[in-house]
Amino acid sequence: MEIVVQSSVGQYSKPFHSLARNRIMAASVPITRVTAMDRRREGISQLTSHSFFPAIRRIRAMHKSITSCPTVSFATPDVGVSNTETREWAMQDFYTLRKDVETVLERVQEIRAAAGLKQLQEDLAALEAVAADSSLWDDRAKAQETLQALTDCKDKLKLLCDFKTQADDAETIIKLTEEMDSIDSVFLQEASGIIKELNKALDRFELTQLLSGPYDKEGAVITITAGAGGTDAQDWADMLLRMYVRWAEKQRYKTKVVEKSVGEEAGIKSATVEIDGRYAYGYLSGEKGTHRIVRQSPFNSKGLRQTSFTGIEVMPLLPEDSTNVEIPEEDLDISFTRAGGKGGQNVNKVETAVRITHIPTGVAVRCTEERSQLANKIKALSRLKAKLLVIAEEQRASEIKQIRGDTVKAEWGQQIRNYVFHPYKLVKDVRTAYETSDITSVMDGELDPFIKAYLKHKYSLAANPSGLT
Amino acid sequence: MRLSFIRPISCCSVSSPATSVKLQKPLFLRPPTFKTTISDLKKWHLWAKSLTCSVGSTFLELDNGPDSELLLRELNWLVEDAIQTPKSFLQQPHKNYNDNSSVSIRASLEQLYMLWKQRVEERRPFQYVVGCEHWRDLVLSVQEGVLIPRPETELIVDLVNDAIKENEELREGLWADLGTGSGALAIGIARILGSSGRVVATDLSPVAAAVASYNVQRYDLEEKVHVKQGSWFEPLRDNEGEFVGLVSNPPYIPSKDIGGLQAEVGRHEPRLALDGGASGMNDLIHLCDGAFSMLKPGGFFAFETNGDEQSKFLVHYIETKKQGNFSKVKMVSDFAGIQRFITGFRGR
Repeated sequence: MEIVVQSSVGQYSKPFHSLARNRIMAASVPITRVTAMDRRREGISQLTSHSFFPAIRRIRAMHKSITSCPTVSFATPDVGVSNTETREWAMQDFYTLRKDVETVLERVQEIRAAAGLKQLQEDLAALEAVAADSSLWDDRAKAQETLQALTDCKDKLKLLCDFKTQADDAETIIKLTEEMDSIDSVFLQEASGIIKELNKALDRFELTQLLSGPYDKEGAVITITAGAGGTDAQDWADMLLRMYVRWAEKQRYKTKVVEKSVGEEAGIKSATVEIDGRYAYGYLSGEKGTHRIVRQSPFNSKGLRQTSFTGIEVMPLLPEDSTNVEIPEEDLDISFTRAGGKGGQNVNKVETAVRITHIPTGVAVRCTEERSQLANKIKALSRLKAKLLVIAEEQRASEIKQIRGDTVKAEWGQQIRNYVFHPYKLVKDVRTAYETSDITSVMDGELDPFIKAYLKHKYSLAANPSGLT
Repeated sequence: MRLSFIRPISCCSVSSPATSVKLQKPLFLRPPTFKTTISDLKKWHLWAKSLTCSVGSTFLELDNGPDSELLLRELNWLVEDAIQTPKSFLQQPHKNYNDNSSVSIRASLEQLYMLWKQRVEERRPFQYVVGCEHWRDLVLSVQEGVLIPRPETELIVDLVNDAIKENEELREGLWADLGTGSGALAIGIARILGSSGRVVATDLSPVAAAVASYNVQRYDLEEKVHVKQGSWFEPLRDNEGEFVGLVSNPPYIPSKDIGGLQAEVGRHEPRLALDGGASGMNDLIHLCDGAFSMLKPGGFFAFETNGDEQSKFLVHYIETKKQGNFSKVKMVSDFAGIQRFITGFRGR
């Protein structure tokens, strides 16, 4: 269940409420078969209505009638059934839980206020009016934009609404328990489950709020390039490729390794992965930079400690027709790989790779994954545009033309993270100082804490540009 | 006038009685009627990979052939063409060693072993192995006896497009692709012409004419492209002076260079499509000589050459020997910076 909940990251539209409910249902099964069946029969109406009362009442009733006395009363703590565990849970944790529920209620309220609930509702009304207009499809691109904005707005409202419903559900359980003057451990565990999941969802929501860049919602293209260091560096590049693919799979993003150049002995020289899913770029954009590994290299015959580097570049995955950026032909230097020689009829090699350099800025992209030169050229151009748009955004330039070429940094110059496998285990981000010794999980794609720390760091930098936080 | 090569193709190949040309159906278009298991396919893939890796850079050093990196890329494409659902196979390389589930393929496993052996050991061109070449936005059927269209040649379609944009009359006129081979240029151009624009594609080789017809048919262009068998301008005599454009990628390699070509080209591709005589320019000069009488005033031509030396010679040849016949004659370089093409217009 945890995994499913995590996977709803990025696609905030459906998640959570119904999952938490399912969890309640599942957990309730052991109580009594009748209950489970009964609830399943009426499940649909329950899941759609946001009230929790009927279920609770019914379960309570059944509970009492079938299992004679499962509840533990405060007044008479022991009525024949020796249920010490339950009692202990209840006695020790009820007040903590009540406190947690109060905290989460406050948090939900704050988040709802901060998210501008009223403004959102007004936006929704305005967008719905536009969408209902008969002239909507006169401009196809604009219509799509409007509908996307409408969906986003609806999703966000639904989410904020779900937060409230869930917090209310938890509160209801607490109140009910107080009212009953007795404690049902199954309910309280469910309440505690709701709180736990809700807190995760709220964390995620807050994180998404940090993603307000113009391309943050898009998918991402990651290019991994092994640095100098021979086979060890190429193996490191391969490990990072696996790490990002695993991370993306955990988010239930679609991944596609579109280009991969394998190393002579092991690993890869470079690879390009397309990660398709909402907010993939927003989450991953902070991964851009040099990643350094320190280990006893398996490729070093003396078993000495070795340091290698791999560069990660991240670009938004923009729909092909969405970049209405025109770059003058004379600003582009297009070349394609023909390893020397006379070319033409003299050569038959599948070298359709196209490299495009944007002359004013020196920004270059290469595309090798397609089977024809034209297809590679189209794709390369679209990547170049995405790249230039991101640089323009970073420089706060309103147009590609305004990009100051001399200030475009080396593609992945800055070292952002160290992965030490030996003599101790540590992954540490040099920007946020976030660190963990659980290097295995990180390499398995547990990147969320790093991503979160970086986004918060970036956000606080933006809020306090002077750095006097 | 259209030749009788155009006929439905069934299964793998069918012989055309008129010419007895056996057409090979591209692998990716064959039905996935063969079954194997993921693990057996994986074994083949591992075998193919290790065979490929053993090549290293020996071909590159020997005759500027492909190194193992390029061959691995080709191997991926072979998988793409041969398997019905290649993605799941290629993207999860570590998960399917012991997977006995069934997978549908378009050639038997034995054929796959044979095909890759031919690729590496006999240096049979990859495009003949899979029976197709991706060229521009087209996937063209190719087979032994037909020149595999090169990426450089893609640019001629762009040159034609530029000329059409300058003069919209060209869009609705009659074009010719001389020595069409697989039909690449004829099809590429037909797709940018207007509703009444037509292309005549000629080739001396019956195999090329048959393959070109098949490709034309695959892109539903039978109404726009007419394939005719014959030498250069011979099949076009009926329409002399009516053409608004001529394009050609004729054989241009000097005879003495043929022996030193990379094995894929020299050993497997048709000499007829490569050998341009002692200087390599026999056919190019023939085309330059005949272009004037074929073209309408204002008509456009674009020819591919062996590079800087030939292009310079031909531009000079046209400007001195054909004085006043043509205007705006120039060289155009390919993406590798080699002066690959000459273009110009018939004077008005």
